[in-house]
Amino acid sequence: MGRHLRAAFVLFHLLAITLVSLPSVGGGMRRSAWRTPTVQAEFDAWTARLQGLGLAVDREGLEDRLWAFASGYEDGRDKVLGVFEPYYRLGTWQSWRMFVAPHRFPARLEIEIGEGQGWTPVYVARSSTHDWLAGALDHDRFRAATFRYGWAHYRVARHKFVDWVALRAAEDFPEAQSVRVSFVRYRTGSPEDVRAGVVAKEKREFPLVRSLRSSP
Amino acid sequence: MTLWSRWVARTSATEGATPLALFRIGMGISVLVTLGSVWLHGLVPVLWVDQAHGGYRALGQGPWLVALLGGPQPAVVWPLLGAASVCGLLLLLGIGGRGVALLTLLTTKGLVDINGHAGGSYDELLANGLWLLVLGNGQATLSVSAWRQTGDWWPRAEVLAFPRWLAAFQLVLMYSMTGVQKLSVHWVPGGDASALYYILQQPTWQRVDMAWLAWVFPLTQLATLITWFWEVLSPLWLLAMWCPAVRGAWQLRAAFAAVGLILHISIFVTMDVGPFTLISLAFYPAMVHPWELRRLTGRG
Repeated sequence: MGRHLRAAFVLFHLLAITLVSLPSVGGGMRRSAWRTPTVQAEFDAWTARLQGLGLAVDREGLEDRLWAFASGYEDGRDKVLGVFEPYYRLGTWQSWRMFVAPHRFPARLEIEIGEGQGWTPVYVARSSTHDWLAGALDHDRFRAATFRYGWAHYRVARHKFVDWVALRAAEDFPEAQSVRVSFVRYRTGSPEDVRAGVVAKEKREFPLVRSLRSSP
Repeated sequence: MTLWSRWVARTSATEGATPLALFRIGMGISVLVTLGSVWLHGLVPVLWVDQAHGGYRALGQGPWLVALLGGPQPAVVWPLLGAASVCGLLLLLGIGGRGVALLTLLTTKGLVDINGHAGGSYDELLANGLWLLVLGNGQATLSVSAWRQTGDWWPRAEVLAFPRWLAAFQLVLMYSMTGVQKLSVHWVPGGDASALYYILQQPTWQRVDMAWLAWVFPLTQLATLITWFWEVLSPLWLLAMWCPAVRGAWQLRAAFAAVGLILHISIFVTMDVGPFTLISLAFYPAMVHPWELRRLTGRG
């Protein structure tokens, strides 16, 4: 009897982890995420590729059809996985959406201090000179968090993060009046652009300023 | 013999304990590195403690274990970190059996799940591996327990084979499912195969500036295609394990393992994705049959 139960359990385990690992849009299932330049560029490229194969598809039609399919698929997936939910809590959950597409418009975290004469950078992601808080912010877990905060829909967490930065800045820069945290977005250069020395245009997004005179 | 009875026989089979023991050791090290890294960087009170107690964001009640203990506050998180670290050490040393594996899973998962924004797929892979050590006896050899029972650190012992097979399946499942989700035009064959080049330009994950890759772009294209095919075709690795007597199976497995090692080491050198490389490689002993290890080492 024990042998049969074990065999049944192994089958159950294989079924549970295979089903949950099947492709899923996950947190990307929102229109705002689909409207980002990186995702829009993917739709453009796939439309051109499918048209090149002789398929009659247009840009908006492709996106709408994919949205409808993904919505139905995710709903069905949720229902099926609900059966296994207690088992997933034991540590069997799977999510392998790892680097499914290059982020062509990434955002670089920057922190600046205001001392009455403009802004002075104190932290720039991956900079070896502007490295205030780098010991914390360059850790992989903080990288994962700040990567998320470069997306519009993480507004609440972004504000909390900036509040925390302001507290630290008030301690480390007692002369400063304010701190600004922002995400500098740019298009990653193609190999040709990089070799030609073309500098990407940058856009400062979600700039949040906190006064250090009355930091939270 | 029916299909079911063959399945019952297969899941009841035993084998040499060394590969599972190596997997256990890898998981123990992974737990200690995962937790130790956060502690050494001074991030425990920042990432895993609620804003009300000094953390950087509101974390709610946390996962069920943390909620049960009182929520993500220092008086809960620090003892939990201590308990998880001790459990990880016991797991590494091979003390306490499956109970320790379960406690390691619960405490470690409780911690890394506190802040859903500050983690990655490596947390899930670690939990997946720890659960398999709850199912299997990873301490039958290469452990303090084995030494106390037999006076030998590396005694020859037999354990149920299915947990190692599940670990092998888990690894291949991860590779194949991440592969089939790489649907970007920059990944899929037939496009410009520029995915790795552009991914390595993302400031979030890179260790240092990688603009120099523009001068070796064709190499990154080759690496992109190899990575995509290797991931998508990785079920063949498991198939070759399942049928070791088939001609070419050993060479296929060796090729998959070699590409995997190169891929993970390359990721580690160029990108900071936490303990992903370490945890993934901890699964690699499961891809080796016990009799192959025995032939290689003459032990276990």
